[in-house]
Amino acid sequence: MSSPGGQGGALSTRGAGGPKRMKWALELSLGNTRSRGDRQSKEGDVMYPVGYSDKPVPDTSVQETDRNLVEKRCWDIALGPLKQIPMNLFIMYMSGNTISIFPIMMVCMMAWRPIQALMSMSATFKLLESSSQQWLQGLVYLIGNLLGSALAVYKCQSMGLLPTHSSDWLAFIEPPQRLEIMGGGMVL
Amino acid sequence: MAGQLAGFTVSLCLLGFTVAVFEDQVGKFDWRQQFVGEVQFALFDTHSQASKKLLVATEKNIFASLNSRTGELFWRHVDKMGPEGHIDMLLMHGQDAVVVVGNGRLLRSWETTVGGLNWETVLDTGSFQSAAFIGLQDLVKYVAVLKKSAISLHYLSNGHQKWVENLPESDTVQYQTVYSGGNGQVFVLGVVPNSHIVIVEYNIEDGEIMKQNSVAAPWMSSLKSSCVVVGIGVLLCVDPTTESIYTLPLQSEEQTKMTPILLQTLGLEMASGFQPVLMSTQPHPARPPLSEFFLQLGPDHHILLQLKDGHISALRDFNPSYLVSFATTGEKTVAAVMSPKNETACSINLFSADTGRRLLDTTIIYYMDPNGGKPTKLYVHAFLKKDDSVGYRVLVQTEDLVLNFLQQPGRVVWTREEALADVVTMEMVDLPLTGTQAELEGEFGKKAAIQDGLLPMVLKRLSSQLILLQAWLSHLWKLFYDARKPRSHVKNEVTIETLSRDEFNLQKMMVMVTASGKLFGIDSKSGAVLWKKYLENVQPNSVFKLMVQRTTAHFPHPPQCTLLIKDKDTGLGSLYVFNPIFGKKSHISVPALPRPVLQSLLLPLMDQDYAKVLLLIDDQYKVTAFPSTKNVLQQLQEMASSIFFYLVDASQGRLSGFRLRKDLSTELIWEVVIPTEVQKIVGVKGKRANEHVHSQGRVMGDRSVLYKYLNPNLLAVVTESTDSHQERSFVGIFLIDGVTGRIVHEAVQRKARGPVHFVHSENWVVYVYWNTKSRRNEFSVLELFEGMELYNSTVFSSLDRPHPPQVLQQSYIFPSHISTLEATLTEKGITSRHLLVGLPSGAIMSLPKMFLDPRRPEVGSDQSREENLIPYSPEMMIRTEWFINYNQTVSRVRGIYTAPSGLESTCLVVAYGLDIYQTRVYPSKQFDVLKDDYDYVLISSVLLGLFFATMISKRLAEVKLLNRAWR
Repeated sequence: MSSPGGQGGALSTRGAGGPKRMKWALELSLGNTRSRGDRQSKEGDVMYPVGYSDKPVPDTSVQETDRNLVEKRCWDIALGPLKQIPMNLFIMYMSGNTISIFPIMMVCMMAWRPIQALMSMSATFKLLESSSQQWLQGLVYLIGNLLGSALAVYKCQSMGLLPTHSSDWLAFIEPPQRLEIMGGGMVL
Repeated sequence: MAGQLAGFTVSLCLLGFTVAVFEDQVGKFDWRQQFVGEVQFALFDTHSQASKKLLVATEKNIFASLNSRTGELFWRHVDKMGPEGHIDMLLMHGQDAVVVVGNGRLLRSWETTVGGLNWETVLDTGSFQSAAFIGLQDLVKYVAVLKKSAISLHYLSNGHQKWVENLPESDTVQYQTVYSGGNGQVFVLGVVPNSHIVIVEYNIEDGEIMKQNSVAAPWMSSLKSSCVVVGIGVLLCVDPTTESIYTLPLQSEEQTKMTPILLQTLGLEMASGFQPVLMSTQPHPARPPLSEFFLQLGPDHHILLQLKDGHISALRDFNPSYLVSFATTGEKTVAAVMSPKNETACSINLFSADTGRRLLDTTIIYYMDPNGGKPTKLYVHAFLKKDDSVGYRVLVQTEDLVLNFLQQPGRVVWTREEALADVVTMEMVDLPLTGTQAELEGEFGKKAAIQDGLLPMVLKRLSSQLILLQAWLSHLWKLFYDARKPRSHVKNEVTIETLSRDEFNLQKMMVMVTASGKLFGIDSKSGAVLWKKYLENVQPNSVFKLMVQRTTAHFPHPPQCTLLIKDKDTGLGSLYVFNPIFGKKSHISVPALPRPVLQSLLLPLMDQDYAKVLLLIDDQYKVTAFPSTKNVLQQLQEMASSIFFYLVDASQGRLSGFRLRKDLSTELIWEVVIPTEVQKIVGVKGKRANEHVHSQGRVMGDRSVLYKYLNPNLLAVVTESTDSHQERSFVGIFLIDGVTGRIVHEAVQRKARGPVHFVHSENWVVYVYWNTKSRRNEFSVLELFEGMELYNSTVFSSLDRPHPPQVLQQSYIFPSHISTLEATLTEKGITSRHLLVGLPSGAIMSLPKMFLDPRRPEVGSDQSREENLIPYSPEMMIRTEWFINYNQTVSRVRGIYTAPSGLESTCLVVAYGLDIYQTRVYPSKQFDVLKDDYDYVLISSVLLGLFFATMISKRLAEVKLLNRAWR
């Protein structure tokens, strides 16, 4: 019985607080009025002359060391998948060949990542655009991913998830059609 | 090793082959009906007025007590089969029923209220002749048993022998009757056929022969059929040749010759060629019989006579009359007479025995079932009403073994179909679709789609959906309407009109053929008999073969079953064609079978009316086709070269195979002779036509496939040695290809003896035999494999099989005898198989086939564990949770019938013998339906709760977002 009263009280305080908030305001002074949030902080700022920027201008001149860095960075990208392979091998070894939720998740991840990478090949090529050895790096990247997926397939194989045995196709064998009709029995 | 074993047991527990039902499921899917068979003796308990007991002893060696108000069994004692347990005589006095069993082997006294055994005495050897209560001064104290050469007297209270006496000149005289009038003597009557009667009088107290006399009777051959004792010790005998009744006072001094009374002097005439029958009554064993008696002069002619001072007078002539019977209540004795009223009904009337006067208001009208037989036996239960008049109820047994219990004025109190105690063969037929279902079927059939355009199809669809909605609403309304009624009234009445297939095709029509020639249609869900038909001219030792020619799947053609009845004596066969759902005889013309029929063969070919073609082979190996329309004959001509049949003649030990020629004659193509002097063929089984095998092979531990040898033409032939010496007896099993006659495999089980029960299915044969050396029952399983590669995966032809199959065999010890063996069957054959084993105890065990696998290794390896093979152990246990019929034992189970249902997991099982038991089994558990105890309330309340929770939280989230936007 007390809660409606309490609510009424809350409503009344909210109503009392209402007039404090402005519904709209017109700012006649100059400045960035686009953002309401900025308005209060930048209220006291002075105007800057035309062409002034308060950010430092970066040095755009390309240097030799930077070029090396780019090359290195691109190689990092290209070799990424290959570097993961030992790690994957270790995970594979640790997860074992039993079919349970964790090994299945591992295998799915191992298989999915190279595939995802291969699908977004063009994006990776764009990243490598600045490198001089673009094609070689692309190839290495491709091989790495292919190796990764091969590893996943191998893992599937060792877990017995691939339909490579005749028993996997057993359910699809139709019963043979019989050519002769036969019947009879003991003499009644 | 111990660890392995423990692991194995754990895995077994996890596999959990429990097939048992829960307590609340009892009677939900299963039912049992108990029978007693053809009644031989029936006695009403007249001890007290309110007694409801009716004691029956039957041809099936059963002694039982029925509730005369409901027809249910109070108790039942099932004795041994055959002459050893045959009930020779049933006598009742007070609370005790005295039974002579096994041709005078045992004398038993039963307490009739609970069916407990009072005492049992082993009698001396000798073939049983007669038994009677012996009373003295109004007290019944003894029971006399007359054997071929001796008479013994036993105390009724404890069965002890009072005395036993050899009968004089028992090698020439046939003693047949024992009689006592309750005054201290026991008369034993014997006859030397066509010479004279011998009367020996014994003293009750010490068995001393008081008197011995012989009276010339050159016309007499047997006492039993023609003589009775009437009145105060007067022997009456009827002679059909001279048409006269002879009288002889037993107690008088001058027993020299019998005095004849010509029937003509009484104004009576005898039906020619009829052996007249006399019937008297002795209401109390300690008192002399009444002086009134019945004389049957013809099949439908009885007469009530009275003997008074040596003269016979007719009290009343009953012509026509089918059956007569005496009954006594208190001091009054009445005679009940059943006489024909019209074509379909009989009337039963009571007559006072001493005057022959008809008692008023005592008519019972008995309506004869048009699908039943004539009444054969009449038992009357008379009682005194409050106003001291006599009331009565009657038990009528008919030719087709129906027990009808009627009360005045003709109300049938209960009916028992005792023919069902002897089911010979059965089939299960799908029920028809309901009207709406059938309409849908017809609407979206192939023909309709071709004829109609798009728009009419849409309209049709809408209209049929409307019909479905209407049916559903009316169903809901019925549910609602029923829910308001009290529980007991709701009991669903199953009638033929309301029969329709259920969603999963679990309810079927059981068509049962009984040995007496009566056919039954039974609803498999409730066990109610929906139709019955008595075939009148069936000989008692006929052989029956029931075939389903057309199933219910071919609407609007009605389903059609054909019963081949072969008379063993003449060898001639006849066909009875009927609709299995309604039990009506079909009007299709049946081919005449002038020659003895040897076998029949149901082909998968169909005529234009979708009826499968039935071939009947006569003793000249000519074939008759049924139906034999032009279409069928043309199809047969085209197919003739690929139709084969085999015949097994057990008496000559010959198996022969034939091929059909275009002119419907046959040619012999192979013959296998098993010498009958060494072994005899006891059984041959092919595979069931409706069996499907889903998996063509078995997956090995290394994931390769071992293909099954699935030869549809394979026959399993079981033989037993004629030499029954335990060292030399053997059981042989031959696997023979029925088309080519090639013996695919042959196995001999030495030191083994029958009876052999076997099942042949898929690629395996399981058989059970008795091992004479180790004195135990053994299961043996044979499994056939084609190898790691299929020879021809598309077609199977027995004529082109160059490689013999690999055969594996293993045997196991089974701790019990078995009565019958059958395998479960499912729609697609995906579900694992179980064997249904009927045990003599009445239990039916569902034994997983997995335990009978010849690939079970002696030592488990990783590969075998991968394959789920259980390590071999020779002993097989009987686990009580494998009993599918918990405590509903099926006495003398003779056969088990299995049928697939619409659900792949479920197999319908009917066990028949003396009782009938129907249930469902789930060999791989119910993987395709929700469990019986599935918590619908919880699931739906959780779902609803979640739904409302999302609704509420969505609304709350909206409000919150809006508020934040305002802030």
